[in-house]
Amino acid sequence: MRTRTDRRKWVDALNGYLFISPWLIIFLIFSLISLGYAVYLSFTEYNLLRPPRWWGLEGYRRVLEDELFISKALPNTFKYVLIVVPIQTFLSLVLAFAMDQNLRFQRFFRTIFYLPSVTSSVVISLIFIWIFAPQGIFNQITGLTVNWLDDPRTAFYVIMGMNIFTTSGTLMLIFLAGLQDIPLAVYEAAEIDGANGLQKFFYITVPMLRPVIFFVVTVGVIGCFQVFDQIFVMTNGGPLDSTTTITYLIYKWAFRDTRIQMGQASALAVILTLIILAVTLLQRRVIEGSGSGAER
Amino acid sequence: MNRMIKFLLILTVLALGLSACGQTATQQPTPQPQTIRETVTVKETVVVPAEKVTVRLSGWASSPAETALLESLLYKFSVENPDILVKYEPITGDYKQVLLTSIASGTEPDIFYVDIFWWLELAANDALLPLDDLMAASGVSRSDFIPALIDAFTYEGKTYGIPKDFNTLGMFYNKDLFDKAGLAYPTDDWTWNDLREAAAKLTDLSDPNKPIYGFCTPPDPGRFPVFVFQDGGTVMNSDFTDTTLDSEAAVKAAEFYTSFRANQIGAMPSDLGEGWQGTLFGKGQCAMVYEGGWLIPYLRDQFPNTKYGVVMPPAGPGGEGNLIFTVAWGISANTKNAEAAWKVVNFLTSEASQKAVLESGFALPSRQALQNSDYLKNNPNSAAIFNGSFYGARPFFWGAVGSDVNDQMAKALERIFKENQPVPEAMKQAAEAIRKAMR
Repeated sequence: MRTRTDRRKWVDALNGYLFISPWLIIFLIFSLISLGYAVYLSFTEYNLLRPPRWWGLEGYRRVLEDELFISKALPNTFKYVLIVVPIQTFLSLVLAFAMDQNLRFQRFFRTIFYLPSVTSSVVISLIFIWIFAPQGIFNQITGLTVNWLDDPRTAFYVIMGMNIFTTSGTLMLIFLAGLQDIPLAVYEAAEIDGANGLQKFFYITVPMLRPVIFFVVTVGVIGCFQVFDQIFVMTNGGPLDSTTTITYLIYKWAFRDTRIQMGQASALAVILTLIILAVTLLQRRVIEGSGSGAER
Repeated sequence: MNRMIKFLLILTVLALGLSACGQTATQQPTPQPQTIRETVTVKETVVVPAEKVTVRLSGWASSPAETALLESLLYKFSVENPDILVKYEPITGDYKQVLLTSIASGTEPDIFYVDIFWWLELAANDALLPLDDLMAASGVSRSDFIPALIDAFTYEGKTYGIPKDFNTLGMFYNKDLFDKAGLAYPTDDWTWNDLREAAAKLTDLSDPNKPIYGFCTPPDPGRFPVFVFQDGGTVMNSDFTDTTLDSEAAVKAAEFYTSFRANQIGAMPSDLGEGWQGTLFGKGQCAMVYEGGWLIPYLRDQFPNTKYGVVMPPAGPGGEGNLIFTVAWGISANTKNAEAAWKVVNFLTSEASQKAVLESGFALPSRQALQNSDYLKNNPNSAAIFNGSFYGARPFFWGAVGSDVNDQMAKALERIFKENQPVPEAMKQAAEAIRKAMR
């Protein structure tokens, strides 16, 4: 009897693994193994042409002494996260709240807001290049003569605006799902107590959405730390390094420079991972910590 | 929270479903191409039953016409050499990235393009085969090629690539705008002063929607060094161990180059909303630009009504100066069929093949013998760019930190243009950043 159930369990487990094997194999080959290899490479000097040579922490030292990293890529990346994440989170929450009311053409608006998220980021980048060209639509409507993407003072903000525009739709959907999880009874109780719309939003909706907010902020922060394709397409890190971020610097060292520095680029990739990990843990403490305080 | 997880699960399932749909959509090629491929392979096995050596050949695919030209040359080769099968594997996208990763994984093609700008990194790391012995065995001499080109692919006395073609910069001028301003067309004898005077007269900003500038000055490391050379300066010292961008000659050249925009008789292409000055030249918004032979087919296709001529860039206080852009065929150091690969390279750079390249109008031939060809006699525009290689021209190559040198040159110009940084300070900053990168 006993062996039979054991066998049963085995078969079940095997079936389970069989079902997830397509994902598992791809994950192992393209994520886990390459991730491990990148960590190994970060301790080596490697130019792709000769086998990697072990040099310990030299790559990390070079990254931390690199002027482009210290004075441009690092502050730019944090600036990007600090501006984009709050705006896109707030905007998508408001959008979701509006979509949750019984508006006319609700489905139509949902589709419109979600549309940028399903469009390829390269295509959106190209559209934004044309919109913000010196003779583009934006300048023609506003009557300005700013060369948005070629001016070190404005280029980064255009990219930020574009990212907010594209990601808010997805985040709105997640918030929308969260909103529908909030029991109506709570709102009804609040109404009986005489709460107005604003109070309901801030004292019921926002606290009840805390786990969803945590999820949205975390996903947003990770995505923002890794911003790359828009910069690659729109500005190539320029003008004057004003849009160079950590991921763009990794790409530059790993592939674009005449002297390939794969080891140093890998070291920076590891550093970026550690930064993201630290920030995410910190966030969890802040959001969940304040949450338990409020509930008491 | 539970429902939340459920919802996320549904989302991922949906996303998977969506991506699956996307894949089926892309995996629906019509069956026709497959049948064509099959017939080709059948033909080949019938024609040549003997044992074949296969060599793989890669390059970037810059235009369909250029690819067609290469394919026609390879077809001729296959007729003459039935024992060698050449597999042409063009690389689209980032060529250098694909090539380097294929070398890292030991799967690189036997023959591939190497660009003047980064080939040395390959040679210095033993990824390229020295070609001297193979050249000698088949009677090819270094002196068959334009000296500046073959020297550019020489490292420690060995030849690592056979230049397949090249370009220099010529000064393209818009004939209609010159006529409108009542100016005589430029000649090869022009100097910096003539350039400045003409730019001032050609500039016409009366139409705010279509301003016309005399001369376009992009913050481009592929244009600016010409002025440094013409001022008697260099970008790097002779063994590429130091930069000379903060020398007096280079600073003066930068002052001259940036003076056009400062005096509103020149502009950056981005001022006019374009990424490339070639487009602005075609549109008639830049009366004079320094560009290579690649602009000729572009104008023919995109702006057939623009009347233009090409002369050599006007000389500066230090005489003539120009940049050479060139690409060579290199052979992998790990190839198993070096002799077959060399046969292919030798065929592609032979006088007959080079003549076909020249007559197609894409680029200029690397063989000296073609200097007196009828094509160049009948096409003064191409001839101006060909002859540029003999007058003060230096290869577009700055050593191991070349990309840093390029970046810093571009940034120095951008700082001068956009942030009004004083020229000597900008050049000093650039030079110091390059020295830092060298360490």
